Amino acid sequence: MTETDIILSVQDLDVKFDLRGRTLHAIRGVSLDVYRGESLAIVGESGSGKSVFTKSFMGLLDQNGSVTGGHILYGGQDLAGYASEKQWLTIRGREIAMVLQDPMTSLNPLKTIGRQIEEAVVLHQGLKGDAARRAVLATLSDVGIDDPEHRYGQYPHEFSGGMRQRVVIAIAVACRPKILICDEPTTALDVTIQAQILDLVKALQKKYDLTTIYITHDLGVVANVADRIAVMYAGDIVELGRCEEVFYDPRHPYTWALLSSLPQLGVKGEPLYSIAGTPPNLFHEVKGDAFAPRNPQALKIDFVARPPYFEVSPTHKARTWLLDPRAPKVEPPEHIRQLREQGVKFRAQ
Amino acid sequence: MSSYRSHKEKTLLEQVERALTPEEESALFTPAGYDFREAEKGGYSNYSYWQSTFRAFFKNRVAVFLLLVMAALLLFTVVQPYLPGQRDPNLIYDNPLNGLPLRNQQPNSDFWFGTNSIGQDLWARIWAGTRTSLFIGFVVAGVEALLGILAGMLWGYVRRVEFLFTELYNILDNLPQTLVLVLFSLILKPSIQTMVLAMCMTGWIQMARFVRNQIVILRDRDYNLASRCLGTSTWRILFKNLLPYLVSVIMLRVALAIPAAIGNEVFITYIGLGLPLEIPSLGNLLNEGRLLMTAPPLRYQLIFPTVVLAVITISFYIIGNAFADAADPKNHV
Amino acid sequence: MPSENREVLLDVKNLCVDFGSRRHPFHAVSDVSFQIFRGETFGLVGESGSGKTTIGRSIIRIHPAASGEVWFQGKRISGKISRELDREVTRKIQMIFQDPMASLNERAKVDYIVSEGLYAQGARLPEEERKARVAKALSDVGLLPEFASRFPHEFSGGQRQRIGIARALILDPDFIVADEPISALDVSIRAQVLNLMSQLQRERGLTYLFIAHDLSVMRFICDRIAVIYKGRLQELAGAEQLFAHPFHPYTRALLSAIPQPDPVSEKQKKLVVYDPSCHGYDDSNPPLWEELEPGHFVRGSRRELDGYRAQL
Repeated sequence: MTETDIILSVQDLDVKFDLRGRTLHAIRGVSLDVYRGESLAIVGESGSGKSVFTKSFMGLLDQNGSVTGGHILYGGQDLAGYASEKQWLTIRGREIAMVLQDPMTSLNPLKTIGRQIEEAVVLHQGLKGDAARRAVLATLSDVGIDDPEHRYGQYPHEFSGGMRQRVVIAIAVACRPKILICDEPTTALDVTIQAQILDLVKALQKKYDLTTIYITHDLGVVANVADRIAVMYAGDIVELGRCEEVFYDPRHPYTWALLSSLPQLGVKGEPLYSIAGTPPNLFHEVKGDAFAPRNPQALKIDFVARPPYFEVSPTHKARTWLLDPRAPKVEPPEHIRQLREQGVKFRAQ
Repeated sequence: MSSYRSHKEKTLLEQVERALTPEEESALFTPAGYDFREAEKGGYSNYSYWQSTFRAFFKNRVAVFLLLVMAALLLFTVVQPYLPGQRDPNLIYDNPLNGLPLRNQQPNSDFWFGTNSIGQDLWARIWAGTRTSLFIGFVVAGVEALLGILAGMLWGYVRRVEFLFTELYNILDNLPQTLVLVLFSLILKPSIQTMVLAMCMTGWIQMARFVRNQIVILRDRDYNLASRCLGTSTWRILFKNLLPYLVSVIMLRVALAIPAAIGNEVFITYIGLGLPLEIPSLGNLLNEGRLLMTAPPLRYQLIFPTVVLAVITISFYIIGNAFADAADPKNHV
Repeated sequence: MPSENREVLLDVKNLCVDFGSRRHPFHAVSDVSFQIFRGETFGLVGESGSGKTTIGRSIIRIHPAASGEVWFQGKRISGKISRELDREVTRKIQMIFQDPMASLNERAKVDYIVSEGLYAQGARLPEEERKARVAKALSDVGLLPEFASRFPHEFSGGQRQRIGIARALILDPDFIVADEPISALDVSIRAQVLNLMSQLQRERGLTYLFIAHDLSVMRFICDRIAVIYKGRLQELAGAEQLFAHPFHPYTRALLSAIPQPDPVSEKQKKLVVYDPSCHGYDDSNPPLWEELEPGHFVRGSRRELDGYRAQL
């Protein structure tokens, strides 16, 4: 992928929050390039900073949060320097749109959904009156809502959870953004609806030539939709690679842990692999590798020095001392090895 | 967090500070050992609800200032009669020279607030009046709160009595409070007890309704269902699960009920059914002052009680609101 | 294991639960019957609104049953029951809730939360004994006993869910209704809770009713699974049976929706969508509930059931 294909470039981003008199260092020097037209997934537990990361490129950080370092380069501008609402309004919706987790609180309960979509259409597509209404009906059918004429006049509470999420996606897409960020769009939904919504977003991505960024904690969801995966832990990206590389050849112990703990890989009668404990408290400065206390395979140096990125392939890198040539050879857990064999088969095809 | 880990860190860090020999470097690349208890210790948050509430409250300078003013006022009204040189509020003071009552004296070094139209010391009367009014305010607010909270909790939580309370509310809400106050004052001898009784009669139902609305919001939350599954008794659920969430909103209402009660007392006095003059209250004082409003040199008799009443009302209002805002977890940052 | 030899712990017979007014009731659960044997994990899977949570709540008697009965250890526990039986059942049947953020009392310490059930059981425990039981309950679920003096908001989702489990366990129940206990947790934390539940089952001989909307988890933890759609059971089978030969189209739809951590096959997957009208039920073609292979029951019309039998 060439330089011209990069649509958003984040360099050494630092985000801090003022919380009850202390400073929370939520994003610690993260760098990431997003390519045009790709589907990138950011995976991590709650508290890893994945939502904060994407909110920082839309100016949606809470009042007590701010970008304290680094650059967010988009369309020739550095978004990290944006301070006024006026500047952010040129980005939000128009360039970057976001779909959030809970559709009920994303929609205005007092307006019909037709009106809500129409607002976006009027504002961002410049249509009015009848033309706007037709555009809304077209968008409703795009997102798979039957009988759009009738649904136009209904209120959010008359829809089921999955349908509401489709409406939210319709509003986001009606803005004709370049980048669509989906922040855990299916976490609150049932598994059948989840699959349908993911298919929908994939179809819309193709149709409207979008770049999508998914945020989720569920690696199973990600296998379906992502081209590249970034694994985040404690405000830092610990592994970045193409989807097949991360699934079939993961290198960071945290990625191993995430993959191994999927119940789909569990064997009945044996305990599921699980990661003990909780992510670290980011109020304190993190020394070394943030994952070290929960990592059964930690090396002494993990507690002392923060590992740099080691390249596994031009498209795959991981931030772990295990990839250092001086480190002992550590075998990933059983399940990962099975996935690796599947990967070998895949590469052989 | 002293632990095996931080000790290990210290030794390792010391190693890294010095320049490393190749052997030491490769020693760093050996497994560190794993203690799951260390893993469990992560993620501790230092949030304390009440600490955050007080921190948010004390950020509001105006509220804190007024709180200090009110505290000083309260203290002074209690202490004032015991200070040296204070006069009896009901005694009529005569001019020693001619034996006539010292009527309508302007504030001077002898009578700091002057005297009223029959020669009583206004300074003493104002403080006595403030004492009486504050007493009425606190008692009424307290009784309303007690009755209102109890009734509201039962109304909101116990399905069987819900209907009863709703009907009671419909009746009491439609009774004009003024009418009740007037009737009570007419039927019973006007006194502090009558006044307090009359105000409490109708006031508690509003608090009950407010509490009930909050309870209805909370009662079907998961943690209450969990308590029901555990067989917890209704009273325990009301007091341990629901009441702690209501404390902040109740404080606001109580803070506003105090000046409201005092205002009611003033109103009743204006229509002639207030406390007798031997029991000075802000209502009496305001009423007397009102009658003399048109004569500029005598306006001080209106201004002093007005200022006191205004300070009390505004202070409680602002403190109450500030506390309610501070107690809202959404404002805890 | 042949089902005839095992003790039936819970017996749900023709349970119907309605919501709403008497004139326009919403039938959340219609004519549901199943049995749960001692020591097993019985899974109940369906989407939101299918009635699975309502069934759980009817068993633990938060929702009254409109008709039908629930029997536990040979005694009827639905409808009006004596105070003694009520107390006994409260101790023996406990529940784990879905949302760890909402199911704990934020203003109470963990100490009180975990020991809350003990207060209702009547006997006044001396303070040391209560504290000891709380400490034991906390360490049974893998938490440090010093957590008892803290408040729930100081803990993560997984830890809070474990506090909820400790709360249920302190009464030493026989049967636990787990209402989507892991849906609100991160995937990596789910494993902690699932392992804990399996371990507790082995150690204490617990029986679970595991309610969820995600079949992938069910396969791992459940012995038998019932599929419910719009308040009616559609299929009931052993976990492996269900995954090996799912008959009902709704079960197939659920299975195809399970996300697999395998990019190549996921990207090529075709999703199966369930259309309820495919059965063509009407008066002449009523739905039936039959056992197609031992322990495997399916709901379908005559024609469909014959078709499934032919597949075997």
